[in-house]
Amino acid sequence: MVFNSIEFVIFLPIVVALFYLLPQRARWLMLLTASCVFYMWFVPKYILILLVTIIIDYSAGILIEKHENEPKKKKTYLVISVVSTLLILFIFKYLGFINDNFVWLCQKLGLDVRTTVNIILPIGLSFHTFQSMSYVIEVYRGHQKAERHFGYYSLYVMFFPQLVTGPIERPGSLLRQLHEHKDFRYENISKGMRLILFGLFIKMVVADHLGAYVDEVYANPSEYNSWSVMLAMAFYSFQIYCDFFGYSTIALGSAKLMGFDISDNFRTPYLAKSIGEFWHRWHISLSTWFRDYVYIPLGGSRVKFGRWAFNILVVFVLSGIWHGAAWTFLFWGFAHGLLHIIEKAMNQRFPSIEPQSKWLSVSLDLLRMAKTFVLVTLFWVMFRATDFANMRDIFAAAVSNFGGGQTLAVKPEVWLYLGLFILSDLLLFNDRFDTWCETKPLVVRWLIYALLIFLVIACSSVNSFPFIYFQF
Amino acid sequence: MKKLLIRILVLAALLFVMNWVYSKWFYEKDLQEHSDMVNLPRQVVADSCRIVYLGESSNRTYGWAESDQRKISEMVGDYFPSVLCGDMTKNASHAEIYYNMLKLIPKTSSVETVVVTMNLRSFDAGWIYSRLETPLKKQLVLVQDYPPLVNRFLLAFKAYPIRSDAEWDQLALKHRKKESLQFPFESEWNNAYQWDSAMAWRGLMDSQGQRDDAMTELACHYIKAYAFQIHDDNPRIKDFDDIVSLCHERGWNLVFNLMPENVDKANELVGKDLLYLMKTNRDYLVNRYGGLEHVAVADNLNLVRDVNFIDQNWTTEHYYAEGRHFVARQVALALKSFYPSDFFDPQTVNLDEGHYLFSNTTTIDNTFPYSDGLQLSSEALQPDWDRVNVEFKACRKTDSDKMMLVVQWYDGEGNSDANYYRVKESQIPVGKWEFATFSLPVDSVLRSSQYFKIFVYNPSDSPVQVKDLDISFRPAYMKPGVKGEKER
Repeated sequence: MVFNSIEFVIFLPIVVALFYLLPQRARWLMLLTASCVFYMWFVPKYILILLVTIIIDYSAGILIEKHENEPKKKKTYLVISVVSTLLILFIFKYLGFINDNFVWLCQKLGLDVRTTVNIILPIGLSFHTFQSMSYVIEVYRGHQKAERHFGYYSLYVMFFPQLVTGPIERPGSLLRQLHEHKDFRYENISKGMRLILFGLFIKMVVADHLGAYVDEVYANPSEYNSWSVMLAMAFYSFQIYCDFFGYSTIALGSAKLMGFDISDNFRTPYLAKSIGEFWHRWHISLSTWFRDYVYIPLGGSRVKFGRWAFNILVVFVLSGIWHGAAWTFLFWGFAHGLLHIIEKAMNQRFPSIEPQSKWLSVSLDLLRMAKTFVLVTLFWVMFRATDFANMRDIFAAAVSNFGGGQTLAVKPEVWLYLGLFILSDLLLFNDRFDTWCETKPLVVRWLIYALLIFLVIACSSVNSFPFIYFQF
Repeated sequence: MKKLLIRILVLAALLFVMNWVYSKWFYEKDLQEHSDMVNLPRQVVADSCRIVYLGESSNRTYGWAESDQRKISEMVGDYFPSVLCGDMTKNASHAEIYYNMLKLIPKTSSVETVVVTMNLRSFDAGWIYSRLETPLKKQLVLVQDYPPLVNRFLLAFKAYPIRSDAEWDQLALKHRKKESLQFPFESEWNNAYQWDSAMAWRGLMDSQGQRDDAMTELACHYIKAYAFQIHDDNPRIKDFDDIVSLCHERGWNLVFNLMPENVDKANELVGKDLLYLMKTNRDYLVNRYGGLEHVAVADNLNLVRDVNFIDQNWTTEHYYAEGRHFVARQVALALKSFYPSDFFDPQTVNLDEGHYLFSNTTTIDNTFPYSDGLQLSSEALQPDWDRVNVEFKACRKTDSDKMMLVVQWYDGEGNSDANYYRVKESQIPVGKWEFATFSLPVDSVLRSSQYFKIFVYNPSDSPVQVKDLDISFRPAYMKPGVKGEKER
């Protein structure tokens, strides 16, 4: 079930109503059932994969806690759990990729190998396996008590608002909240509705309209002039942001309706002044996951520069591969890592002196933001391209066709929607829509609601664009 | 609680205002962009049509070389010169689409009778779960009976089935596996899936005893398209029932036009089991709707022969002009009961070109050098027919010597070539009707062709009148004859 579907419009109020009508002891069962229905709406049989992950990590958590004083055994259970979970991820996500590369290599060596692997990636696999792993690691580290209630643990992995594309929650936050008693509070309903409305606006009105232009140009880059290709590249930056941010915001809102607080996944990333800062603002739940479970165990930043650079590259390459089983994703991650290292090296070599003048300081910041946006936009080409050939075509078309080719005809209203979004992003700098709204007078607030409702209903794109992060 | 109630009331008021704003400034643009089918009923109403023909591609498809390229619905109009007939034609449509289009015709319109295409294949899983269903159903969302803003809400939140091509195909496959087929005689087929698989596995053989892949594939198409049995729970039945109810409610007469299928090909490729299913399905529909008040069913299932089907490599209801004429006539005869005094049979008028209306014929020019489509001869070339005699009467209007007799042959793979024979000025003098006679050899090239055409061609701007074109084949030992001495 997707958030911008009529099914979800019916599903969510029913679940919320039942949640408040049922006693606390029955809520977990209802939420778990609802989450199963939500997930099985896509491909029912894939719930079995989730079940396997849940059973492995649930058992591992208990066993690790049981052998708290036996480090060797404890570690063995952790390794079994992590390897099993990663194995599932490997089979469903990476086996096809490995096989294709193996076949390619064999053919290059003159060997006649034609094995094919045709496995469809279960939706949201990368997200819930990471969430499940974080639980086992936290139990191992002693930060989290093992969950004895199988239902609650299952719900922690399967909680429908964040099941498919995150945010990737930690047990310390979500699992704890699932046990808490939640009373009906008007404030939660109000905040939840605001977030859902805002999320729908940025997904359905901004991202989906931009998506149509991006698809058009990426399908035939050579037919467009360079300005149009560059415009499509910039549009994709906003499309992917609005798409993912929209989904995360609806997830936050849906959970908030029932009183659950899910962590923020974005904080105006395109206002970042460096690649490092960008990753503090983009897909925060994934960045912090890698920070806590990969980067810091590797030594983090408390090591020599060379080792630090290596740690950074490992994390970013893993992050790239996490997104998709393709060389383009790997290079995308590598490029981000490399640039982050270069930025840090430059900062160390040439420490910046803050200008005395406020205007000069602001201008410098704006330049830095523009630089980061341009670099991130260029990197998104690797992310969006179907393969290296497509990526090459896009870059080639962006620099070599200024004279000829079609001009991308963008409808005026699409500029308006994009402008509205950019304005909202500036207004919401280091803030969130639900809390930002609270500070406004009633009439202004309701005018904003009315505008958003109208835009979502009457001006949303009618093309069906699946959420981009569903494929991960 | 009071606070909440006030907010709900404010929201309701806001939605009311939004609906007004949307209807006034946005709705029409959206209709044109996402549901342009709305223009079809609007046109019918604007034209004050009394008879409306609803169809899919079968109504408007014609052969590339046909002089008569009119729709079936236009041909129906010939039978009722005093009644305005219109059409609502939309490709890949089916009963659900027709029902929704009919609902868009206001009660106060001049429409009295509707003719609804009943396509047998549309009851099959392949069409019910067609890949075209997503765009078709999407078009219906904006024209539902709700307030415009609600319709737009439903469109925005994708209140229509969104499935990938693979998912639609999977549904059709599942259906074919699940639905069992019942025969009153011994048959080895339990369901369409098994039948289709068996045909694909066994294959059809050509005259040399070799597997004919093209024919096998076509046979599989026929099985997939017709190997089903219509039951009351078929979704199309509900839609046709809804159409009947709507017509009763509006006081419209209704004619169901059960379209001809290529029964010849079905019989040739698959055999009696498939014919049995096609006929029982036809009987089901005729029995269900034929006896209703103000409803007539034009049963045309077996009306058109294989040669009049345009698509020979696929299952369609696309007919050459003659086939369309046959269908139009049957529909007109069904309509006759509702308009007895308006009915006029054009076939009773003597026409220059067979039984077609004079108005239907097209001036012969270099785009359409011959007068009709691919009506093939009923007999194949015999071994001893070594010559072909061509004889016609012609009259030149001006002094032009470009007139030619053309023999054009086709090899069956899309290639063709032709021989041109000049009609000399001495044969046909200006302003005088004279016979032109040719005796041409039937050589090996012509003999090996799939078919050939013989026609008089006038590439000049100067008109030439031609009549009584006569073509006869004869053995070499017989001398060329004149009019009236034909061997066949």
